Amino acid sequence: MANVEISATRAKSAGAKIIRYRGVIKRYGAFEALRGVDLDVHAGEVVCLIGPSGSGKSTLLRCTNGLEMTDGGEIEFEGALLPRDEKPLRLMRARMGMVFQSFELFPHLTALENVAEGPRTVLRKSLAEAKTRAAAMLAKVGLADKEANYPSALSGGQQQRVAIARALAMEPDVMLFDEPTSALDPETIGEVLNVMKVLAEEGMTMVVVTHEMTFARRVGDWVAVFDTGRIVEQGPPQQIFDAPLTERTRDFLSHLGWAG
Amino acid sequence: MNLDWSVVWLNRDALIAATGTTIMLTIATMAIAVPCGIVVAILRLYAWGPVRAAATFYVELFRNLPLILVVFWAFYVLPILTGLSLSPLATGLAALALNVTAYNAETFRAGINSIRRGQVEAAMALGMSRAQALRRVIVPQAVRRILPVLASTWVSLFKDTSLVSVIAVTELAYVAMQIRAQSFRVLEMLTAMAAIYWLLGYPQAKLVDWIQRRYNVTE
Repeated sequence: MANVEISATRAKSAGAKIIRYRGVIKRYGAFEALRGVDLDVHAGEVVCLIGPSGSGKSTLLRCTNGLEMTDGGEIEFEGALLPRDEKPLRLMRARMGMVFQSFELFPHLTALENVAEGPRTVLRKSLAEAKTRAAAMLAKVGLADKEANYPSALSGGQQQRVAIARALAMEPDVMLFDEPTSALDPETIGEVLNVMKVLAEEGMTMVVVTHEMTFARRVGDWVAVFDTGRIVEQGPPQQIFDAPLTERTRDFLSHLGWAG
Repeated sequence: MNLDWSVVWLNRDALIAATGTTIMLTIATMAIAVPCGIVVAILRLYAWGPVRAAATFYVELFRNLPLILVVFWAFYVLPILTGLSLSPLATGLAALALNVTAYNAETFRAGINSIRRGQVEAAMALGMSRAQALRRVIVPQAVRRILPVLASTWVSLFKDTSLVSVIAVTELAYVAMQIRAQSFRVLEMLTAMAAIYWLLGYPQAKLVDWIQRRYNVTE
């Protein structure tokens, strides 16, 4: 319906579609977490998924790299359907970086070892090469001086930046962020958002589940509003935040105190 | 009372050799029971149904049998079942390893279960297989977390090696009892034996405590 019209205003729609969701359904027992989600993510785009808790944003993200298996519909990544078999799925996961709300750094490894782990174990790089790459990635997120620190000796914001570096070290084609700042102290949220903003400016394709409306508005190229397992509205941030087409979007944003 | 401590000194060579055997038995048992315990724990957690059931049966069997019974069983029944005739030392080692592996398997299982699900997801999101996630992420953390339990198992094991004296393994308890029987110096030999066990056991416990502090993972 409105999809055709909207995509005309989509700045980066010229880029190849990296992820394509069609009619995605996910159930947990009798509960339908996703009830038919359609969404496209183009190369170089930052797509923000917003909406109330439990609306299915994180579930869609977790279905994207097969941490959860869908119960219906299709997810295509770079033109191929997401495989269900373990081995091809692993190869596909290695091309998607994921950042978790709770960081999930490996507590028994230093920051450098955390970042080197993927290249070492999955990409089978030599230890020296993995460490060189890890050092470069830590420098990129501004933590060159924390290489030898264990996660327990880092602040939440620093841990999340290491987690971003860990995902980047795999040289992914897309980065998936699952509420990357929700577990952070207010004063460290900014440093994480800044790293994400720089990534976006460099042209990284990103899917971001977030409650940071300012980030979605300033950095997002496309925003999808979730409610009870559906996307109730999607469009460029100007539309979503300034002139939302649906009552549901307006309600959600006004609950957050977003003036619009 | 008439005490003669010279009996300890006169038999020092035999006692030192026997102490060496006790230490060697402890180390060898753990060297077998730690990797085997990890394997059994993983089978109990992740293996295909019947294999999992077999692993559970093994653990529950050996955890609930008196060790001394297992030692006798290994000595009298194992050769008949397998056709192998092992030395008393190898038999004792097998019995100890069977017992301690069962305990370690439970310890490792608890340790693996205590690692957050998100850790496996983070590993899998990088593209690791389940086996790689286990090997690189879960087991190293689980091992650190259960070190205190392994430490007390170690110290128990060091003392429990004395049970293989019943099948004439020439470890410390057996040799001390032999000397006692020949010299009739009961109090001296039992005291000497107690002193050796305690003096060796205490630093081991402290050492493992130190390792635990050294490699402790804080979150």
